[in-house]
Amino acid sequence: MIGASISRWTMSYFATAVAWLFVALAMMVAGMGFPAADLTSPDTLVLVHVMCVGWLSLAMCGALFQFLPVLVAKPLFSERWALPALGLLCAGLASLLAGFLVLGGRLPAWLWLLPVGAVLLAVGLGLIVVDLGLTAWQRPTGPARFVLVGLASLCATIALGAVFTFALAGWGGSTGETILAGGVPLHAIAGLGGWLTLTAMGVSYRLLSMFMLSPDVDDRTSGTTLMVGSLAVTVTVVGGLLAVWLSSGLNAVLSIAAVLGVAAAALYGRDVLGIFRGRQRRRLELNTRMATLSFASLAGTAFLCAALFLTADFPAHVGALVFLAVFGWLSGLILAKLYKIVAFLTWLETYGPVMGRTPTPRVQDLVAEGKASKWFVIYYTAVWAGTLMLLMGQPQAFRAAALAMAVGVVGIVREVIRTRRLAYVAIPLRLPGGARAPHLLFASK
Amino acid sequence: MTGELVDLIRDAMRVVIDPELGHNIVDLGFVYDISIVDDAVGITMTATSPGCPATGFLKDGVVNSVSRVPGVGSVDVEMTFDPPWTPERIAPVVRASLGFAAVN
Repeated sequence: MIGASISRWTMSYFATAVAWLFVALAMMVAGMGFPAADLTSPDTLVLVHVMCVGWLSLAMCGALFQFLPVLVAKPLFSERWALPALGLLCAGLASLLAGFLVLGGRLPAWLWLLPVGAVLLAVGLGLIVVDLGLTAWQRPTGPARFVLVGLASLCATIALGAVFTFALAGWGGSTGETILAGGVPLHAIAGLGGWLTLTAMGVSYRLLSMFMLSPDVDDRTSGTTLMVGSLAVTVTVVGGLLAVWLSSGLNAVLSIAAVLGVAAAALYGRDVLGIFRGRQRRRLELNTRMATLSFASLAGTAFLCAALFLTADFPAHVGALVFLAVFGWLSGLILAKLYKIVAFLTWLETYGPVMGRTPTPRVQDLVAEGKASKWFVIYYTAVWAGTLMLLMGQPQAFRAAALAMAVGVVGIVREVIRTRRLAYVAIPLRLPGGARAPHLLFASK
Repeated sequence: MTGELVDLIRDAMRVVIDPELGHNIVDLGFVYDISIVDDAVGITMTATSPGCPATGFLKDGVVNSVSRVPGVGSVDVEMTFDPPWTPERIAPVVRASLGFAAVN
């Protein structure tokens, strides 16, 4: 296939994801959930799932609908499943969150909301897994292999999460109770490490190469990274379930997984360094410069993980570790790439159809990097300060950092909306004859 | 006469830009070959990356621009990635402005 089409619902996924991100930031600023509450408290469960399902997973799915066809140079299996899946995910997440609020006594005792939410999420994510899986399977090479492993990890995450919800509702039997008692770390690592991190790594290989005109990382090199990362997830899920079943504790399994995870992060760092060294474009655009800060956050996460294990401080600071991974590495990377992807897709949608008939602006004419860069700097500085506050046990100062993060995100989102509105394009070029202004929330047919 | 028509076609294609690199596809070296038989024009061209969503628009843009050249009856565009495009194909004056490595 030469040329992929524009994904109709990617913008809808991005907009919904950003809305959930604002919910999570508002919760942190208000002091709901960790660190004001315990890591396992119902409020923290709300916060974690708003972040991981509402923000990170929706943004990742939106990006994959557009860029997986680019990775495999094949069309998406089905465009029609994307919107129903989005509806199911939002309904499922809302039900799940309501279920957590029931656990915290904030709603009447409707525990059935938890399994209902899990089933809706499983159906919605199942549609996406089948759609993206069948697309990637058409050419399972290079970065697409990361996406396939990521999707498999997503299935494990959903399965474990569903078991938890049935157990919490009292419908899980003794097996469900056993898995709930010991399996939460497996669910978290499969989701954050397998689904979100491995998929982000795979997509980043291609996007970095494409936007910097660098040779693709060869399959053998990236294959080693993927193998070590996959092994970390497999050891966690399979070994972890076995350990839970045998009641032997998770320490050994999680220690092995941590070593493999840190090794995978190091190998990924080597691969990314190779892409930067081989780039043809010497001048880096803002999205790439800001992505380097997320790579630094991943390195920081790996370093912190190793340090906490060596000093036996892991249980006390696991919250800070997860915070840095979620907000520094994953959210930072997604925000940086969102800034670029929205500009690129907006250009294609608006100016692609009139190309050859009239002069058109460049993608870079749709953005004002000078204005956007300060918001990214505020965001990353706040994330790193927030991590430090968590390590130092300063929940009030953490809320101030969360507020600064929110300010940064508002600034970035404002810039993205201005890009989508073509606000930075010089008026004579903005809407040449035949061009149509794009809709904010979806791509026109 | 054919040489003049090729020049006109080349000039017409300068309205088509690679959105990422921000320069026209002629100076970027995307156009591999222009052939003319009677009034039928055949163009062989490339892009920076196969599978890129912009590729189809580049192809359509070339058809749109070349069709307007007087003396052109039909336009057939073949997109190829063999050989793959490299920055060596960029006109030197454009290459410098794009911030490409000097070795390229």
